Amino acid sequence: MTEKIDARPGADEPTDLPPPIISPDSVPDSMWRIRWALFRRSFAHNWKLFRANRVGLVGLAIIGFFALLAIAPTVLFATGIWNSAVYDPVVGLEPNPPVKVMTVVNEITDPETQIDFRHVLLDNRIPNNIQVGEQVEIPQQPAPPDRRHWLGTDPLGRDVLSQLMHGARAAFFLGILAAVVTVIIATTVGSISAYFGGALDSFFMRLADLLIMIPFLAILIVIGAIFEFKLWHLAVVIGLLSGFGGVAIVLKSQALAVKVKPFVDAARVAGGSNAHIIFTHIVPNVMPLSFLYMMFTVTSAIQGEAALSFLGLLNVRISWGLMIQLANTQGYLLQGLRYWWLLFPAGLAVTLISAAFFLVGRAMDEVVNPRLRKR
Amino acid sequence: MSAPPLLEVDHLVMNYVTEKGDVSAVEDVSFTLHQGEALGLVGESGCGKTSIAMSLLRLQAENAVFKSGEIRLNGENLLALPEDEMRRHRWKDIAMVFQGAMNAWNPVYRVGDQIREALDLHFRPRLSDAEATERISRLFEMVGLNPAMANRYPHEFSGGMRQRAVIAMALSCDPSIIIADEPTTALDVIVQDQILQELKKIQRELGMAIIYISHDIAVIAEVTDTIGIMYAGKLVELGPTVEVFARPKHPYAYLLLSSTPSVTGPRRKLAPLEGEPPNLLNPPTGCRFHPRCPFATERCSIEEPPMETIADGHRVACWNWREVPVSIAQEARP
Amino acid sequence: MTRYVVRRLAQMVLLFVVFLTVTWFLLYALPGDIVKQKFAMNPNIPPEARQVAIERLGLDKPVLIQFRDYMINFFQLDFGLSFNQYPRKVSDIIAERLPRTIVLFLTALVSYYYAGFLAGKYLAWRRGKRGEMAVTIGGVGLYTVFYPWFALMAIWLFAAELGWLPISKFLNPDEWRNAPFTANQVFIRLFVTVLAVSIFMALVVLLANRIRDHRPRALAKVGGVALGALLFVWYWWGTAGGALMRPYAGDIAEHLILPVAVLTAVNFAGIMLLTRSSMLETMREDFILTARAKGLSERAVRDKHAARTALLPVTTSLVLAVATVIDGGILTETVFSWPGMGEVLVTSVSNEDIPLALASFSFIGVMALVGHFLVDILYGVLDPRIRVGG
Repeated sequence: MTEKIDARPGADEPTDLPPPIISPDSVPDSMWRIRWALFRRSFAHNWKLFRANRVGLVGLAIIGFFALLAIAPTVLFATGIWNSAVYDPVVGLEPNPPVKVMTVVNEITDPETQIDFRHVLLDNRIPNNIQVGEQVEIPQQPAPPDRRHWLGTDPLGRDVLSQLMHGARAAFFLGILAAVVTVIIATTVGSISAYFGGALDSFFMRLADLLIMIPFLAILIVIGAIFEFKLWHLAVVIGLLSGFGGVAIVLKSQALAVKVKPFVDAARVAGGSNAHIIFTHIVPNVMPLSFLYMMFTVTSAIQGEAALSFLGLLNVRISWGLMIQLANTQGYLLQGLRYWWLLFPAGLAVTLISAAFFLVGRAMDEVVNPRLRKR
Repeated sequence: MSAPPLLEVDHLVMNYVTEKGDVSAVEDVSFTLHQGEALGLVGESGCGKTSIAMSLLRLQAENAVFKSGEIRLNGENLLALPEDEMRRHRWKDIAMVFQGAMNAWNPVYRVGDQIREALDLHFRPRLSDAEATERISRLFEMVGLNPAMANRYPHEFSGGMRQRAVIAMALSCDPSIIIADEPTTALDVIVQDQILQELKKIQRELGMAIIYISHDIAVIAEVTDTIGIMYAGKLVELGPTVEVFARPKHPYAYLLLSSTPSVTGPRRKLAPLEGEPPNLLNPPTGCRFHPRCPFATERCSIEEPPMETIADGHRVACWNWREVPVSIAQEARP
Repeated sequence: MTRYVVRRLAQMVLLFVVFLTVTWFLLYALPGDIVKQKFAMNPNIPPEARQVAIERLGLDKPVLIQFRDYMINFFQLDFGLSFNQYPRKVSDIIAERLPRTIVLFLTALVSYYYAGFLAGKYLAWRRGKRGEMAVTIGGVGLYTVFYPWFALMAIWLFAAELGWLPISKFLNPDEWRNAPFTANQVFIRLFVTVLAVSIFMALVVLLANRIRDHRPRALAKVGGVALGALLFVWYWWGTAGGALMRPYAGDIAEHLILPVAVLTAVNFAGIMLLTRSSMLETMREDFILTARAKGLSERAVRDKHAARTALLPVTTSLVLAVATVIDGGILTETVFSWPGMGEVLVTSVSNEDIPLALASFSFIGVMALVGHFLVDILYGVLDPRIRVGG
């Protein structure tokens, strides 16, 4: 009896699928096999729908591009194309920066104030005994792109491309960890709230209300002040905030819709335990929507990290936010296009990857929500 | 029936242009409607009856194209009118009771105000506040609603009340024609019947013409004088309701009626209609019904049958209408 | 409606108490919390001083008593003294900063909501036509742009490169050396006059909407708005007090333009995209067909029926957007050195000025809750199903 009823979720899939075959002797095992088969088939179907949306594909392409960037440094260091003394994103240094040859035209020491401008202007790197009319070589740091540094170097002589690549790695790590934490928590909380209702439900929903209302960044700033934040701490905190927050509310309403489906009643009548019903019937049916919210969480996690780094409240080795902060605090951003390689890569990277995940999320939304599809 | 007809639909052809090709939604449909007449259009969903209704108001979907034919209201071709002149005819001359009246009301405005909107558009000189309120109250009374309800919002109405209010709104500008598109589908049976009777009574009182559209032939039979059977975009039979009910001549009409149980007639076996309606992207050649037709001959798949007048006001489009059995022991319930 | 308002108000107050409690436990009551670390267990402070600090901060009392004292103090608006601007009272700093933030926040919220709604409306109406794709992509770009970076780019372009607007800060200190007023006096006067004029205009438009005929209605609207603008001009140019204050008010207003514009631009896109999809969904509703069948013009269908109904989901999203705008406000204030609550929060957190950080965080919470409450009320006004249903 149980087996037959358990197979019912299959009945909700598109009708062009053949009915699942189950062996009565291995119920839980076959359940998941059927579910996997259904998942594969509905994935193929959904992928077709997703592919119809060009914007979603553009998003996917951008994500792929950044994924390649994130993998690149490993390859480059392993093959020896990049030397870590030069290309390390944090402690690397270009030993031979381009130099600008300048002729000393003025008296170096101001006769009135007796200030030696050599030291002020030339940063102590020039021999002391230069005279008017002599030529000096001034190292250019940050240096514009050249053959060795495709995106130039930053004010400390580090390679910007390498920083960008490591930043991509940090962004993926952070975004995906945060999204996974969010989805696990939100799916569980949503399903439990919907299934049990009552006080538990009220508690979780009021908590979610509160978390939605309080500005996200303000919470992160305050929590960041109390605890020393590392990247994965931040990911977990973001995951907790959005998992117990807005996403839980959305998934709960989805779970409520699943809860009233006949197969849930059937499973209950057949004597399924609460945990069994939640995890084998409700959670799998809430999953598609969870994946959608994963995408949006990645966006907000990356933006949150970048904002905290920008405010200087985060203890990370390297990230896009940190790159922008450095360029900003050293005053390069307001000098405009002259230092474009400090201006654009990190800012555009944050924007592009956020946009990419957002677009993929929107395209997935059209797959999950037939109402949004173009007719 | 000697007076000039109120509405003439003359060889109307309408296609929907889609990515996959043209969908032939209305194919060579002609009928007339006279003052005070009640016409019913029956057919399966997707047979083009709603497309015709929308065409009469020129509210067809964006991708609809009129290939040929005319829709004449008092002799004036509506399809040739510029948009702003057409707007003046809407509701004033042809009003509509929509399918699924539940959603026919905008949830954010009071019901009375939504009726008032139509009054303000079509009454010249504009009605004063007092006159408008008075008129809306009268309309509400006519359809059996408490006039005070006009100040309420749609969500405060029950389904049946909303439908009554929709009828009140349709009557608000004294139209000469009302199109009732599945007017009672979403309601429970008792309310359905009440509303249909109400509508019929009002129609008789005010002497307006009405076009009922439904997939349910039994619902329509009670309230119409004339009935048209549609199949796959074509009008296949048109005649007095009593006549069509008692002696359907088109095989589709015959099968449709045999698949409907009769409450009052003798018990009989119901004949199910086999097969699916055709894909209108690529309709069958010849008679569109021939793949499903038990009376089909070779000719049916090649040549399209014309509309043939077989009795006074009774027309049918079938080569073999003489083969169709005479009686199915189904009595009409006018 | 009254019942709805009262219920929402009660909910908000309850949520606020919960919020304060959570904040307090986070900052004070957790083991190893920041206060104990900084004072009670700081080995760099001599033991006697440490003891004094513990007593002054009440750390030796039971947790519940500490909590009670904290709540009482909070509702008496006593947040202690700032460490960094010692001995200024935290409440004074907040009182000074709060109006500046509210102005930034309100102006941006109103303008982006309105602009986004209008843009989304036209975008939906032009579905499938040229330009729609470009606007959508631009919208997504603005929606996901890294905000501080965008703000810095705007500063560079409009302030540094073109020189149209001041680079940052709240005012130009050179002009204020001999000013007969404090900045806040001018600022609040400016705020109050703008608010009064806006309320006046809103009332005029609301009343004018009751007129049924088109011409008199349009006339009443234009006349009312013009009268409001005239009153504003009269106050600042015509009266002696206004004229005296005007150059200073102008300076502040000039500094306000860029931050508000940037905050509006970024948030506007979200509302635009949402309005567009909400409109497209509304246009498929049956009542749109009814409206057309009644003979309404396309414009009337769009403005009176589609847009008005599409406003509901947009307003729902505003409930979530309040928090986002405050987040944007924190970053805006930091980037533009606009001395408001967000800037105070960031600097006090960076400087470990705990009383100030806590108080500013709580007030940002208050702002968010009040914002929510107002949006909820707005939603109730817009949706009769809530207004009438109770």
